[in-house]
Amino acid sequence: MSWRKLIIATHRDVGYFFAGLTVIYAVSGIAVNHIEDWNPSYVIRTEMGSVGELPAGDNAIMATAVLDRLGITDRPKSVVRMAPDQLKIFLDRRTLTVAVPSGEVLDEHARRRYAFFEVNYLHLNHGKGFWTWFADLYAVGLMVLAGTGIFIITGRKGLGGRGRWLLIAGLLIPIVYLVLVVWS
Amino acid sequence: MRRVITISLAIAFLATTPVFAGSDFVEYGEGVTIEKAVSVKTLLAAPDDYVGKTVRVDGVITGVCKMRGCWMQLTDPETGNGVRIKVDDGVIVFPYEAMGRKASAEGVFQVITLTPEQVQARAEQQAGEPAQAEGEGCDKADQKKDGSGEGAGCDAPVQDNRVLVVHGTGAVIYS
Repeated sequence: MSWRKLIIATHRDVGYFFAGLTVIYAVSGIAVNHIEDWNPSYVIRTEMGSVGELPAGDNAIMATAVLDRLGITDRPKSVVRMAPDQLKIFLDRRTLTVAVPSGEVLDEHARRRYAFFEVNYLHLNHGKGFWTWFADLYAVGLMVLAGTGIFIITGRKGLGGRGRWLLIAGLLIPIVYLVLVVWS
Repeated sequence: MRRVITISLAIAFLATTPVFAGSDFVEYGEGVTIEKAVSVKTLLAAPDDYVGKTVRVDGVITGVCKMRGCWMQLTDPETGNGVRIKVDDGVIVFPYEAMGRKASAEGVFQVITLTPEQVQARAEQQAGEPAQAEGEGCDKADQKKDGSGEGAGCDAPVQDNRVLVVHGTGAVIYS
């Protein structure tokens, strides 16, 4: 097999293998880039309410009263008295911040943002372990795609012509940006 | 080719089974190496004694940076007092879903003096809703230009306009 055929075959197979992950990382990349404007992984809502005056007693008694009055049957992960006048009840993806003894409740509940939670989980490598290795393999795969991609076409549209100028332009953008923003 | 797909699926499946992935805690960053934790009560009683020292703090997670997961609040459930664990953006990301879980964190203890703007934002926040958990005003006053902040947000513990922060290098969150 000639080196050109090898390059084309490598580019083709590695490209097929990592096409799906490239889309996943690209979607997450856009989502995370705009983190100033939105929470890319969760939809978090807060509501104010009241359960009425709370009974005297320890944290467990007050937490039970709050949950009963709100009709919540889930068992809390924990209950913490943050201050004499504030109790926090932690449920699965839901936190109740309760004013004591008035019973005003700030109900903060979150749900995972459909699809985005999962793509961000992968892209930001929250899973660690196996995914670290696979993500490293993907990074190597991208370098292989870049390295083979520039040699696929020969002639006027390849590295000897337009391809060379596009390659230089693509490299210049991050370099100029660094010069103007970071190194100045 | 079918063999390649089968092997890929088998690796992915094995990597997600409890044998490979699972235990009753999740480690973040460098984890926790110090055996004995300094209690929040001790830190609050004499913060200057611990500035610049690497400490371990245990507690319940009562707050997490919603957008970036770049800090969490570890609170002593007995007293309600806590310490802000601030980590470098992107290096460690504390999951929002960890709220309410027990955790240990390790890092260098720091005391940050609030700016007048932060003091004002904090006062405005406290004058608001009594049950308000976390305020936009304080968090915005805390933000650097890059959005990372120093971890001196609204519900971070304050003593004499100083916020107590552990610059976290690692943590363990228990399930």
